[in-house]
Amino acid sequence: MLDWLPTAFLFFLGAAILPLLPRGPARAVLLLAIPVIAAAQVYTLPLDDTLVRVTFFGFDLDLMRVDKLSRIFALIFCIAAFLGNLYAWHVKDPVQQVAALLYSGAAIGAVFAGDLITLFFYWEGTAISSVFLIWARRTEGAYFTGMRYLIIQIGSGVILLAGVVLMYVDTGSIAFQHMELGTPATWLIFIAFGMKCAFPLLHNWLQDAYPAATVTGTVILSAFTTKLAVYSLARGFAGTEILIYIGAIMTLFPIFYAVIENDLRRVLAYSLNNQLGFMVVGVGIGTELALNGTASHAFAHILYKALLFMSVGAVLFRTGTAKGSELGGLYKTMPLTMIFCVIGAASISAFPLFSGFVTKSLILSAAAHEHYYIIWGILLFASAGVFHHSGIKIPYFAFFAHDSGKRPKEAPWHMLWAMGLASFLCIAVGVYPAPLYALLPFEVDYQPYTTTHVITQLQLLFFSALAFTVLMRTGIYPPELKSVNLDFDWTYRRFLPRLIEAIGKPIGAAMQAWSDMMRDGLHAMIIRLYHSYGPQGRISQFWPTGTMVLWIGILLGVTLVVNYVS
Amino acid sequence: MANNKPDNPDKFPALGRALLWVEKPGGVEKIVYTLYAVCAGLFVADFLYHKHSYLAIEDFPGFYALYGFFMCAALVICAKGMRLFLKRDETYYAPRDVESEPYPEDQLDKVDYDA
Repeated sequence: MLDWLPTAFLFFLGAAILPLLPRGPARAVLLLAIPVIAAAQVYTLPLDDTLVRVTFFGFDLDLMRVDKLSRIFALIFCIAAFLGNLYAWHVKDPVQQVAALLYSGAAIGAVFAGDLITLFFYWEGTAISSVFLIWARRTEGAYFTGMRYLIIQIGSGVILLAGVVLMYVDTGSIAFQHMELGTPATWLIFIAFGMKCAFPLLHNWLQDAYPAATVTGTVILSAFTTKLAVYSLARGFAGTEILIYIGAIMTLFPIFYAVIENDLRRVLAYSLNNQLGFMVVGVGIGTELALNGTASHAFAHILYKALLFMSVGAVLFRTGTAKGSELGGLYKTMPLTMIFCVIGAASISAFPLFSGFVTKSLILSAAAHEHYYIIWGILLFASAGVFHHSGIKIPYFAFFAHDSGKRPKEAPWHMLWAMGLASFLCIAVGVYPAPLYALLPFEVDYQPYTTTHVITQLQLLFFSALAFTVLMRTGIYPPELKSVNLDFDWTYRRFLPRLIEAIGKPIGAAMQAWSDMMRDGLHAMIIRLYHSYGPQGRISQFWPTGTMVLWIGILLGVTLVVNYVS
Repeated sequence: MANNKPDNPDKFPALGRALLWVEKPGGVEKIVYTLYAVCAGLFVADFLYHKHSYLAIEDFPGFYALYGFFMCAALVICAKGMRLFLKRDETYYAPRDVESEPYPEDQLDKVDYDA
């Protein structure tokens, strides 16, 4: 069906039609219809084929490279767009609606890109369209955050473009295929992917931007950009060993921040970063099992992460805050939201019968199979840690803990439906993973439900819960405090501006002094000249015509004498 | 939004009312002791089945349980230590850095749960 039409164009078409429709349900229905049509199209496309090829300034651009790897990412992007748009049914702001369509379309377009130029266009497309979901919040903080986000995202695109140009010069090819690190071109492309994938030290845009976006914007943001980067790494750099170590660090350090972070949406952004680490490790290992793990984990992750952002977003929508220090006791009046949040928490924590259990274990098994024992230990620690901060902390501090006295109404029906659908999918994938496994890029020979796996996973999780309980009851657990924590963004939000100020001030003062000195010197010179040559100056005393005639007379006299003598 | 007036639980959603036992005296204890029992059961379970393991360390009795418990405790204690160096005021970067947008009161669908 619709083989000739790039899936992304469906979304762009929708974005063009949307402003023409009357505000209200018509637009919301369009926002839901587009992802459904797109998903149906993607599901029925013939595999292992390039369906749409156009010529652009002498380059052949492959707009629709469809294989199992691109298909699973495109499918989950369609599902995420549907859930996000259903969740945003109440939004009347056309800016957010159009941005959501363009953003999801660009992400799907990038996934199907068969060449690096197409990838670059969509890569920048995701950056530019998504920033409006942040700016749409229309607060001062969101404006500046959006600016920082845009600079980093566009920067990633520019680095990608530089890499593509070098690649074309080196090899004469713009095909987007497996690359080996080693040339400047591949390193630049790798770094561009890494920026969007929130590699350690390049990660802060994520924790900065996602909590700053609108209630519904964050849900949509959480699905696309980073998973597009994971897909690009899986396509371009599968089996690159350095990714294993980068991924392991990514799983590790965000969990420490997540424990002490107060803004629950930022806690989720840190745990998103941690989950990306698992996928990056899978890409780095690069075996069939590991890549299956990455693809399936990305699929499951988009669902449960969206679900968690939706539940915290519903709390923000109803109470006006997502800060742990100001929430608590909401289970009384928002019980359904609480249950959906717990389902998302169980899924991200990989409880048996929930989606994370059947996907994350592929990556851990691959690490053990390939003898990366320390990496395996780190991933296991990160699994326990993610349960600790996403699985327990988020539901506990939002819905239980100390009673905040807030008695908000239950989330609106469309939010409940979106959360309910996402919850259903999380459980369905966990209970019956076969359909998901069938979508994966390689044949799956893996049985998640073994006695050993179920019992060991339950031990890990329940004893993590035990640790939480013991620390909570002994008062060791750090309370939620109104605060921000310094992260690497301190370097460019505080240190570099201060450094530039520190260097700039003396240099500026010196420049100022120098120019003052020059000005004063010139001024004095002008005054001196004026004294000598001005109308009343000494030299101008000889200016009258009489003096001139005298001097001519003298000159003539001298000439006469010289002539006479000679 | 927070108020100090007593609630009227009859106005809560039925599901919320059904969960109110967690706040009753002894409610938390019930949960905690259930958790202790489940943990004990899971620890014992390690001796009752044949474990399929890849790594030698997995065969250590209760490895996953102990790893989960001690690593999580270490995680929280380290994170708490990090606060000493990393915690700053909310307005550290800019005065209105973390402010929410104004919420239109009429769109919040407020419900009166007061007694």
